[in-house]
Amino acid sequence: MKHSYPNETQKRIETIPPHPPFVKGGWGDFQVKRRLLIVVVLLMSALGWWSEIVMAAEDSPISLAVIQKTLAEHFSWDLRILTFGIIQEPSNSSQNPGNNFLQIPHYTADLEIRPDLRLNIDPLELSAKPRMRLEYSIWREGYRKGESEWSDDWFINEWLARWKVRENLFLSYGRENLQWGPSFLFSPSNPFFQENGRRNPYLEVPGMDFGRLVWIPGSSWTISFIANTDEGRNKTASGFPIGFPQGTPFEKTYALKIDYTGRQNYGSIIFSHREDSLNSLGFFGGWTISDAILLYGEGVITQGSKALYPKRDSSPLGASMQKLHQDDSTIKPVLLVGGSYTFAASGTLSVEYTYSSPGYSDAETDRYYSLRHRAAEAISLGGLVSALGQKTLGQTVNTGLRFLRKNYALLQYTQNNIKNKIDLTLRWTQNLNDGSGQFTTVVSYSLGNHLELFSVGTVMAGGKNTEFGSILDYQCMIGLKYTF
Amino acid sequence: MKFQADKRYLIVFVFAFIYCLSFFVSSVHPQMNPKDILRKADEARGNAEGVEWEIAIESIEGGRQQQRTIRVTARGFNSLAEFLAPPNVKGQKLLMLDRNMWFAKPGLSKAVPISPRQKLVGGAANGDIASTNYVGDYKIVQTSEDIVNKEPCYLFDLSAVDNRATYDRIKYWISKERLVGLKAEFYTVSGKMFKTAAFEYENSITVDGRPREFISKMVITSAIIKEDVTTMSYRKASIKKVPDSIFNLNLLTR
Repeated sequence: MKHSYPNETQKRIETIPPHPPFVKGGWGDFQVKRRLLIVVVLLMSALGWWSEIVMAAEDSPISLAVIQKTLAEHFSWDLRILTFGIIQEPSNSSQNPGNNFLQIPHYTADLEIRPDLRLNIDPLELSAKPRMRLEYSIWREGYRKGESEWSDDWFINEWLARWKVRENLFLSYGRENLQWGPSFLFSPSNPFFQENGRRNPYLEVPGMDFGRLVWIPGSSWTISFIANTDEGRNKTASGFPIGFPQGTPFEKTYALKIDYTGRQNYGSIIFSHREDSLNSLGFFGGWTISDAILLYGEGVITQGSKALYPKRDSSPLGASMQKLHQDDSTIKPVLLVGGSYTFAASGTLSVEYTYSSPGYSDAETDRYYSLRHRAAEAISLGGLVSALGQKTLGQTVNTGLRFLRKNYALLQYTQNNIKNKIDLTLRWTQNLNDGSGQFTTVVSYSLGNHLELFSVGTVMAGGKNTEFGSILDYQCMIGLKYTF
Repeated sequence: MKFQADKRYLIVFVFAFIYCLSFFVSSVHPQMNPKDILRKADEARGNAEGVEWEIAIESIEGGRQQQRTIRVTARGFNSLAEFLAPPNVKGQKLLMLDRNMWFAKPGLSKAVPISPRQKLVGGAANGDIASTNYVGDYKIVQTSEDIVNKEPCYLFDLSAVDNRATYDRIKYWISKERLVGLKAEFYTVSGKMFKTAAFEYENSITVDGRPREFISKMVITSAIIKEDVTTMSYRKASIKKVPDSIFNLNLLTR
């Protein structure tokens, strides 16, 4: 019997996303087209302005060559072509029994073309990052076992129009991957993005739409007003924004960010307000202790939590995932502290510790895994119970928490330019509550001035009822990057 | 008798000339104290109110060659280095706000804070491409005189003001006449010399309407492996107004 599952359950892998989910059709397509249109209009305006200059130049002593030279000076582009293969082993856990729920392909081959285009005509800067992706997937586990599929995706991951109003005042709108903060594990101070792109530097974080006003009153201070107007590409296949619980609609978010940079330290605070009244205070800071030692911290304080928590009730599964702390007035801090030491010979060792107050307690964790187990059993029963099981598994994989538990540690060693060829990162992430871990290696080998061989490998440690053991057993990505 | 008198006058004249000459030589910059001399030497290596230049870096390390071309925009103790070549590093950026440093590269979501000690390429540390704040980062322990390539020099023994400086101790030779650093030796905390640098100043920039010698080459040689040499050639140096926004992390990646 062949089962099919609703969109909510499709390929959303919170812990290890193979790549950002595809967004095709309907309203999403319309939004993409609308923004494409804006980019095209802006580029045409700029080109129109230049054509006027060129026409004026034809009537004047200024030669066309000079104009072309000037244009060449203002337009710049980069082009990267990546081709890679991914081998991954889905974990046979209650979250994804027999790979029938998440339906993760065992093999994936990708070709990605990533041009970056920039036109800088002071005071206007335009940039666009159109992307073309061709993917071939093969399933070896679950209901899709033996199936294969070709897919292609054409989109603009990021674009930006920035106007320099004055030397110290910038106004911009566009689709950006807006990231900040010093930490590797994740960036709790960022109210917009749950992923910071550090786990796998070869996969791009999907952009969201932002309007920004950046004011630089002095060399040490910057004040930014940021409005997140659309989730852009940062959403799951079923349309809700990544990082929020299953089914949560997108709401506009506004933030005020104040940055300070001193002689050997820096710090920022971020006040944010989501239109459905979720307020948060984010912060981060760093200190250059010596030429070798850096200390840093990052965090966020929120009132209550929008995340889903397991609660016993009279439903057929005996419990359900609910927003238990939505209206709590209690403060829920997430704090990350870290430091790094660079050895005299080479190489940098980084250590981070995170305390996440919204994470599950031991009792909540027991309820969570118990509910997940019952939901996994229910999906094969058919009927309404099966639908409930699917809905519940959709919620347990997208709880709205970046990490499930409260205490985490990260240990990372990075050494670049080994024998002028190799960049290496070894990273261990440990869930200090359930004992599971994730070991990641990122290696790149330079094959000349244009070509790079790269590999990102991840191995999970822990049982099926642990955070890192729930989705994948391992994942290995190997590829080539060509830069023009 | 007249000859004797003339001889005496000649001797007195020669002594007087030598005395005046020695006075003149020892007081080429009589108004400058050692700190001013060090500041002047810093200025010839980029410590100006807005300057941009390109550096072609060639390093030989363990017999392996590596090239990089970067454009540096600097003002005071802040600088932005943007990698121009080769293609696989093009677009990478190194932002230095005094002792705070961030590294960004295309495709990487956000800028990463890095330490001044991290290697840029070959024997050059991040701090080497724009770290000209010797007068701020180091105290003058001792001054003496020496000669480098037949050029009379002040020899400054510099010690890090605190542990924020890139090096613990530097011996720095500054030309008496030109007030530019000609040679430097860099020492570890344990007192061991680990690299040397030689400087050339064939570039010229105009500051306040007057030409000023500006660094054209810095050759860094490992004290441990003499064959490991990193050559940084400076070109296209120009004075320009550099706004704060150039060094702003919020506007860095796009």
